[in-house]
Amino acid sequence: MKISRRNFLKGSATTLFLAGFNFPVLANTDKKKNLVVIMLRGGMDGLCAVPIIGDKNFEKKRKDLILDETIKLNSDFALHPKLMNFYNLWQNNLGAIVHATNIPYTKRSHFDGQNLMETGGHIPYSIKTGWLGRGMKLAELKGDGLALALPMPLLLRGIPSNDNFYPSKKRLPRTELLQLLKSVYADKSEHDLANMMEIIANRSMMNNGGTSMSRKNSSLAFKAGLELKKINGPRVAVFEVDGFDTHAAQGGVNGSHSDSLIEMDSIFKSLEKGLGSEIENTLVLTLTEFGRTIKQNGGRGTEHGYGSAIFMAGGLLKKSQVYTDWPGLKRKELFEGRDLNSTIDARSVYASAMSTVFDIDFKRIQKEVFWGDELINLSDKLFKS
Amino acid sequence: MKNFYRKVAFGLGPDDKTPSDPLKWATNQLNDIPEFSWKGKILPEKELRKYYRDYVYGDRKVLRKKFKNDKDGYKREKNKLRHATGQKFWWNLELCIRYSEALKSETPVLAKLWYFWGNHFAISEKDFLAQYTTGAYQREVIRANMNQNFEKMAQEATIGWSMIHHLDNEQNIGPKSQEARWAREKGKTKGVNENHARELLELHTVSPDCGYTQEDVIQMAYIMSGWRPKWGKKRLETGDVHFNPDAHEPGNKIVLGKKYKSGRKSLSVAITDLVSHPSCRKFIAMKLCRYLITDNPTEEMMEPIIKAWEKSDGFLPEVHKAAIEVAFNYSDKYNKFQNPENWLLQMSKMADVDLIPSPSFMDLYKLGNKPIRDQRALEYLMDELGQHPYLAKQPNGWSDISEDWMSPELLIRRLVYAREAYYKKSGKSQTPEFYEEMIEKNYDNSGEILKIIDQHRELVHKHVILFNLPETLKS
Repeated sequence: MKISRRNFLKGSATTLFLAGFNFPVLANTDKKKNLVVIMLRGGMDGLCAVPIIGDKNFEKKRKDLILDETIKLNSDFALHPKLMNFYNLWQNNLGAIVHATNIPYTKRSHFDGQNLMETGGHIPYSIKTGWLGRGMKLAELKGDGLALALPMPLLLRGIPSNDNFYPSKKRLPRTELLQLLKSVYADKSEHDLANMMEIIANRSMMNNGGTSMSRKNSSLAFKAGLELKKINGPRVAVFEVDGFDTHAAQGGVNGSHSDSLIEMDSIFKSLEKGLGSEIENTLVLTLTEFGRTIKQNGGRGTEHGYGSAIFMAGGLLKKSQVYTDWPGLKRKELFEGRDLNSTIDARSVYASAMSTVFDIDFKRIQKEVFWGDELINLSDKLFKS
Repeated sequence: MKNFYRKVAFGLGPDDKTPSDPLKWATNQLNDIPEFSWKGKILPEKELRKYYRDYVYGDRKVLRKKFKNDKDGYKREKNKLRHATGQKFWWNLELCIRYSEALKSETPVLAKLWYFWGNHFAISEKDFLAQYTTGAYQREVIRANMNQNFEKMAQEATIGWSMIHHLDNEQNIGPKSQEARWAREKGKTKGVNENHARELLELHTVSPDCGYTQEDVIQMAYIMSGWRPKWGKKRLETGDVHFNPDAHEPGNKIVLGKKYKSGRKSLSVAITDLVSHPSCRKFIAMKLCRYLITDNPTEEMMEPIIKAWEKSDGFLPEVHKAAIEVAFNYSDKYNKFQNPENWLLQMSKMADVDLIPSPSFMDLYKLGNKPIRDQRALEYLMDELGQHPYLAKQPNGWSDISEDWMSPELLIRRLVYAREAYYKKSGKSQTPEFYEEMIEKNYDNSGEILKIIDQHRELVHKHVILFNLPETLKS
């Protein structure tokens, strides 16, 4: 099949045009909704995860990296065959993809790109808080964030008192000792410390006698799912997956890029397991600093690129769909002649997601979290209100 | 007042006598830079940079091509290359050198300030800097200049190989330079990279309080264009830093209203101007107070430090003495939350924890081998505590603000590693008498503390409680 951008737009995938009138999302306060962000570090290759079907340019440029036996999602896009958990979600209208998208960062440094994907800004290091933290502050969600990591990710900075979970390999001291410290903290008016010790003491009771907990993302995700499910539990969770920077031996179905994608896929599965029916009120999104070059390099890997894809999961999605304004893969359609272009500012997706999950008018998020940047409200297209 | 020993250093160890004049005890440590107290091997930065080169060259230019169809083979050979270049070892050796200054030297106050400056001119997590050269940079560029003017430290840090690579100045090319023109002829674009220039202004010298504009940042970047490692096919990005006029933006530049000529000399002149700007000394005074005294320093606290700077033209020993004196004067009124690293060192010093592997044990390491687990103990420990000093997440270094260290997991680490530390103590320090004496020596409210810890009978529990009391977490 030979597709040009024009006839593609008439094809099966819905395109994202200016949404016309944006009605503010109506506040819906009777249920607790959750937002999960999975950071994919190193530059996730959207064309490896969600390859285009039947594009000669694509097949020619990376002939050693083309995957066999992909899963067909629609007439134009397929899914990496190892992403079976995501595919299960997709089949139940719980999975969707935004393709040819990226944050507005066009250089190719991980270091700067990862900073910008977390701050949502334009100039590396100029912003010291994360877009998610600022969104939570706007929604007054103090104490509602959970990071599945040891240092608090920059993404969540901007609102205090976030929780984190990244189990220590050593056992906690006995509960009486924790209680003693808690009362000392309270006596000395050390309220922050007392609050933390309260959380720790509760955890220690839960885990007594349990086996030592794994730090694998699949285990962390199950735990996070259980926490998000609780009516007074956290409302936001953040994961990190490393290893997408595959300059060499990126390989096909069993290559190194697949290993990282499989790890991401395991998060979807465990989250669903932990959340149970609350997956219905949850939205999961991925975030990466850039995609990868279309052309394979001399080491059968790929270099740093531009446009990538966002995986979305959960019951707050409208339906299973690949959303894109496909830019095409001919040389003149590529960014700087080498990368998949980005036709959708990824921040539009994140701002819309926060608007939906936090029940805040999109325009307020646009203005107060993203400095009034030109973003499009996609809430009604992508998500259930 | 006894928290002063913990505030400006790491408390008093079992062999330390209580000083008769605490302020003098502290300020006497700041005049000279003594030899390192680590008695094992210490490698120069240049040599470590060669190992860095061997690793990136071997990976990028050799293994990636050789194993392009063999993911497992690539992983296996890359691991061999890591060990052949000491990738898992050098930073552990650097941590030994670093912590010996806190625990075994006669100058723990100088050590605590060394950590401050290393974090001020931070080399954060990027590529393999941490594994090979960051520790050496902190020795040769930071510590070695602690008895000089601030300007000298700023000059050397700015054009140090580590900083240039860390902040991408090798990609900072004047858009009207010769190199940019050559690139255009080939249909490519090359231009300015502002990273390093912005951090020089924002983090290292004048701070945003001075009111510079985005245009100032760009102009500063033009001044810095061309400063980069000497490129070579074999050495890649690891060559010595030099000024390459082909990449330098021609013409005059204006930063903060002052004109700078084109060429090599302007960067050094610009740094001299930046460090002489009133915003710079105010910023550094604020940061010193924030590190030593409180999250929210007052004007009164900063003033004596600024005065000392003005009087001595930014001579660091004088600036340090002023900061220590301010910390002394405020020691009863303010307690500063200690970051994980300083907390660990405080506990190790006061409770006589055997934290650092011995020099002879570390020197057993042979290049090409995988270091044994105990040689890597410090790396694991700092990672677990959440503050590996060479792996700050951002160029602004590790935070000095207590809120950033308040998370359940980070406090859990203090609980579990306080307990681990107890078992690394010698038998003679595992007695109630040892603890009584230590608490008496280091805390003003020793009676109250003893009463609290006596609620638990076992000594290990007393130890865990003591090092998690507010009096210890905040010094």
